[in-house]
Amino acid sequence: MHSIIQLFIRHGGLLTLVVLEVVCFYLIASFNDSQRQISSVSWLKYSGQLLEWKTEGLDYLSLKEQNERLRNQIADLGTQLTNARLAGGTPPDTFAYAVKIDTLERQIARPEFTLIPAKVISNTISGSNNWLMINRGRRDGVQPNTGVITAGGLAGIVRYVSDDFAVAMSVLHRQTKISASLKNYEYFGSLIWEGDDPQYMTLTDIPSHISVQRGDTVQVSQFSLLFPAGHLAGRVDSAYLKPGSNFLSIVVKLSQTPAAFNNVYVVNNKFSDQIDQLQQAVKDE
Amino acid sequence: MNSINIFPNLWRFIGLTAVQFIILSKVSLTANGYCNILLYPLFILFLPIQLATPAAVFLGFLIGLTVDLLTQTPGVNASAGAMSGYIRAALLFRYAPRGGYTAKEPIPSPHYFGWRWFLSVTAIFFAVHVFWYFSMAYFTPVYLLSKILPQTLLGWSLTMVIVVLYTRLFNPKI
Repeated sequence: MHSIIQLFIRHGGLLTLVVLEVVCFYLIASFNDSQRQISSVSWLKYSGQLLEWKTEGLDYLSLKEQNERLRNQIADLGTQLTNARLAGGTPPDTFAYAVKIDTLERQIARPEFTLIPAKVISNTISGSNNWLMINRGRRDGVQPNTGVITAGGLAGIVRYVSDDFAVAMSVLHRQTKISASLKNYEYFGSLIWEGDDPQYMTLTDIPSHISVQRGDTVQVSQFSLLFPAGHLAGRVDSAYLKPGSNFLSIVVKLSQTPAAFNNVYVVNNKFSDQIDQLQQAVKDE
Repeated sequence: MNSINIFPNLWRFIGLTAVQFIILSKVSLTANGYCNILLYPLFILFLPIQLATPAAVFLGFLIGLTVDLLTQTPGVNASAGAMSGYIRAALLFRYAPRGGYTAKEPIPSPHYFGWRWFLSVTAIFFAVHVFWYFSMAYFTPVYLLSKILPQTLLGWSLTMVIVVLYTRLFNPKI
């Protein structure tokens, strides 16, 4: 109380002025026609600006939340897209339609993939076998031997899973082998990393008679169990024939820079276990 | 504080408000806003020097509001009056004589401080008042160069002439 009185003694004139000027502004803006118009127009103009600033500020504060929400949304849409791509891949012939209404319908329009959004918390690119760690684990539904993709490229394959984290071998790992194909061609091969430039991988096993063009799209093939078929992997940079080989080695520039892994999605294939078992059965025979 | 004499100030309040309303506001109306003489702030200027600043601000607001109610421009003169009350205190502080003010100089008039001093103070005092008045009257910086500043210059010149005439004529001492 004492300090308020002190304040008034020292700045009483200014305080009185401010209070009275506010009263005057109110009077002017309320009871004079031209000033009322001006003030209402100004109010409209500047309150809009003010609200915009406020919204911008709040937006900035909630960026993290929004980012999280968007990534979840992307995962949802990605799930839908990959499943739609698979469902659309079945030729719509009469047979398919005939069985669709039957018990097989579930299998034709079956959702195969679900994506789990994750964030990369550590990543290497300089070694000959590189790893990345993500902030999702068993509790989030991540399982070993599942693919990790980014919105526009490939990231790696999950190997070890703890409750809350998972370690994936990066695409820049000597053992990484991803079934990939050239878009617009029937042929498919394996995408591997030969340990050189972290921006390039090599697509092997493409027959030498194919005339690939620089810039051709390389995508995940339909035979991949880990990655959604048709997902972008990179673009053809160059191709060469290894001595004594009938197959091309195609240098592919990755569409996703491995040094910039940040937001990734773990791809869960619902049927990978079943397919694995079948393949295992064939092997054992 | 016991030297404050209320009646001269009361007469000035009534007299200047009446002159402002009966004569000067009519002149202003006929001249289409280009002959705005604002004499009533002299009441604020001639308030006792020892009066506290908040009181001067409030009395400035009061006479402005009175003029406003008569001329039907609520708030415009009141705003300028309050501003003048504050500026007056600042000017009196800035132009204080070397030894400070004494009880021998009850009001800031040329009778005590000379014409040179009086004209310096009134020039700034009325410049601020007239400028603030037109700013409130137009209420937008859009007209600052085209209307507010020219009319301020014109209104200030005319007002200063009348102020000098008034002060010469009455030579207020209390």
